[in-house]
Amino acid sequence: MENLFTILFIGLWLGGIYGLVSIGLTLIFGVIRITNFAHGEVLMVGMYGTYLAYSWLGLNPYLAVVVVVPVMFVFGVLIQRVLMQPLLDEPLMQMFASFGLLMFLQNLVLMLTRGASLGIPSSGRADNLSIAGINLSLGHVLAFVASTVIVIALHFFLRHTMMGKAIRAVTQDKRAAATMGINVNRIYRLTFGLGTAITGVASVFLTPIYTLSPSIGGDFVLAAFAVVVLGGMGSIWGAYFAGLIIGVTEAAAGFYIDPALKSAVWFLIFIIVLIVRPSGLLGTVGAEEVGLREQH
Amino acid sequence: MSGDFLTVSGLTKRFGGFTAVDDVSFSVRQGEMISIIGPNGAGKTTLFNMLTGQIEPSSGELSFRGGIINRLPPHRRARLGLGRTFQIAKPLIALNALENVMIGALLHHKSVRAARAHAFDVLEQIGLAQRAFKRASELTLSERRRLEVARALALDPQVILLDEVMAGLNPTEIGESIALFHRLHRRGLTLLVIEHNLAVVRALSQRVIVLDHGVMIGQGGAEDMLTRPEVVSAYLGKRREWKPS
Amino acid sequence: MSSISGISNGSPAATDMQRLRRAAVHEPFGRIVGKYLFGLSLALVPFGLLFNDYYSINILTFVYLMAGLACAWNIIGGFGGQFSLAHGVFFAAGAYIPAQFYLKYGVSPWLTAPAAAAVVATAAVLISWPTFRLRGPFFAIATMALNEVAAVLANYSDSLTGGARGLLIPFKASFSHMIFVERWKYCALMFAFMALTLAVVVVIRQSRLGYYLLAVREDEDSARASGVNVLAVKLWGMGISAALTSVGGTLFAMFIRFLDPPTLLSLPDIGVKFALLSLIGGIGTVWGPVLGAFFIIPAENFIRASLGGLPGAHLVVLGLLLMLAALFLKKGIVGAAAALWRRVRATP
Repeated sequence: MENLFTILFIGLWLGGIYGLVSIGLTLIFGVIRITNFAHGEVLMVGMYGTYLAYSWLGLNPYLAVVVVVPVMFVFGVLIQRVLMQPLLDEPLMQMFASFGLLMFLQNLVLMLTRGASLGIPSSGRADNLSIAGINLSLGHVLAFVASTVIVIALHFFLRHTMMGKAIRAVTQDKRAAATMGINVNRIYRLTFGLGTAITGVASVFLTPIYTLSPSIGGDFVLAAFAVVVLGGMGSIWGAYFAGLIIGVTEAAAGFYIDPALKSAVWFLIFIIVLIVRPSGLLGTVGAEEVGLREQH
Repeated sequence: MSGDFLTVSGLTKRFGGFTAVDDVSFSVRQGEMISIIGPNGAGKTTLFNMLTGQIEPSSGELSFRGGIINRLPPHRRARLGLGRTFQIAKPLIALNALENVMIGALLHHKSVRAARAHAFDVLEQIGLAQRAFKRASELTLSERRRLEVARALALDPQVILLDEVMAGLNPTEIGESIALFHRLHRRGLTLLVIEHNLAVVRALSQRVIVLDHGVMIGQGGAEDMLTRPEVVSAYLGKRREWKPS
Repeated sequence: MSSISGISNGSPAATDMQRLRRAAVHEPFGRIVGKYLFGLSLALVPFGLLFNDYYSINILTFVYLMAGLACAWNIIGGFGGQFSLAHGVFFAAGAYIPAQFYLKYGVSPWLTAPAAAAVVATAAVLISWPTFRLRGPFFAIATMALNEVAAVLANYSDSLTGGARGLLIPFKASFSHMIFVERWKYCALMFAFMALTLAVVVVIRQSRLGYYLLAVREDEDSARASGVNVLAVKLWGMGISAALTSVGGTLFAMFIRFLDPPTLLSLPDIGVKFALLSLIGGIGTVWGPVLGAFFIIPAENFIRASLGGLPGAHLVVLGLLLMLAALFLKKGIVGAAAALWRRVRATP
């Protein structure tokens, strides 16, 4: 029994991170209906940006939020405007383009850092817990808190602000939204920016925990997709809770099987969900059948 | 039996709280020409989609050529002889007209060569033979409409479901299309036509079925149906006395 | 169109129609075979020219191999429109399985190549069966996930794949080992592979399966209404594509003789590369992937050589190229050339 509690304990903290990483992705997925393969690389860029703020500007990494998040917002708007907007009706080309972005970002960082391993030294060894091969630290707790704050804030934003309502309108029916005077492309840019900014928050909270490498994005993107699919495409609360579930699953897998096989577990979850209940836990039923193309 | 050719019984489709098709039942005999009319949103295209298998009914039964087809996927129904056109023409854009029609032809003409020949013959019937090598994206609207019909005809269907194929055509084109359908009908093709154009309805119906808000409000001869008060009011609203204030 | 005159059936309109019909129905087998042979001969020219240049022959070997692999991908990815990122797995399996049979039991790769291809094709079909239910992007993500999982498993399983250390095939040259002293023999082998895959592509393109694949790519619902069994078509395409990719993997294994997960299962280097080459060359065309390989592989090597020390530089360029191609060169080189040709023909 105490194993179970340990697993739940670890899983929740891990899950906070997965939720944090995936909320931005599900927002983008749900509103704009595009697949961004480069999501992990965007996260990675944010993490290196946080590191830069730390090493060049001497900022406490958590305070770097102030710098990183706006920059990421602009970055997101740029990606949408330059790469995704022209390809809105061409899903195949979107996939190519986002893969190109993945390769570009990952290797640009590799080139610039010459593959050096970077990391922010832990503030104090005392607040580190090592359980079942997984290292927990204060950083995890903070990430969980951040994740919860973000999802609540986003919920309020989407429900109670004009901008948020416009986003929801576009999500439901972009043509109807357009006839009501909403500039759909502008909303798309805003959403991509917002999703990227949230991912920026994730980057900030992840940087103190992990050793940075250009390929770290790839470590997260599969889990992020699994979270988004499990939670329901476009549902931020779905991403939050699915993140926790995925975290617990990973902890359990690490305990009973082997931590190295965690991506196999994610993949299994991903496939099973897509086959058994494609709309995920909290998504709209039928959204995935209609596909990500339905609004022409 | 002839009555069992194509039968719809108790067909219902609900989308969440909205009932698009409500307990519709009718029978089609082989060789009949039937029009389905009703105001927009009456559920006509949904009915077609259930007939061909694009959508699953919420309840009810579909039977074709003596067998229940509820569980059959669309491509199997096509193989049985159920052909259709789509309201929004969906040609295969990167292919030329001939190749578009070949896709349907390949169903019963297994070799590519035979399929090509059959596809060309169909195009000739439709009057598109001259445009056989034009990419579908280069065809005019009326040509695309006819291509849709050609693709359905290439299946050598026994029944063809035509979903507003006359929309956007000029009177000459409409006249030619009507003549074509009459020719096909004389050769034994059963026609189920959704149409708004009343002249077309009159020309292409031995029987008219009227749908309104998903409910079948009547069926019978064209003139009879088109003058019935409930049909008129379904389209135009209730007749009221205008009193100047 | 042939100009046949004096047909018995009177009116000029009927004659025109007959001529049109003949043109529509006539299958230019001769022309197809001719184009195939002509293209192959062109592809052979560099082989003749660079025969004695060790460095260039190595690159050419790789060009032929990647051309063949891209052609194989194109069957399901280009013709069928299914963006598969799982082909790296088929490639890796085609490399690992015969390699292990050779290392452990001394079985000649010539024998295991087709067997492995059959196994891989079957596995591909089984995995794709549920996965093809997923629309567009979800399918791509699922295949990408498959690649990641395969990489993890390959790293993990020492007994099956040699784990992270990989497998080293010692250099014992002989024909039955598929290991050669002279580099040009490898080059010739890869050329044969490319010729094989191209032949398969050409045959498919002219066949019922080919037309059905195109229909599935363009519009699945429309295809279904025309009697196409969409799932079956996708599975056939995937199976054939996987089998060919597996064979390519076997040849690669005996060429490179060192197999490890990063070499075989890195998405940007292998899995996406097939798709990239097809896109740049002309996705969904017969010769596109070949052209893509001939352009990109040497360019990539050139960049790698000139930007020497900078790790990842060539992938930065490729990534950029991929984005630009998706935005501006969607039809690839073949498409751009065709458009140019049409414009030239149109101007009087």
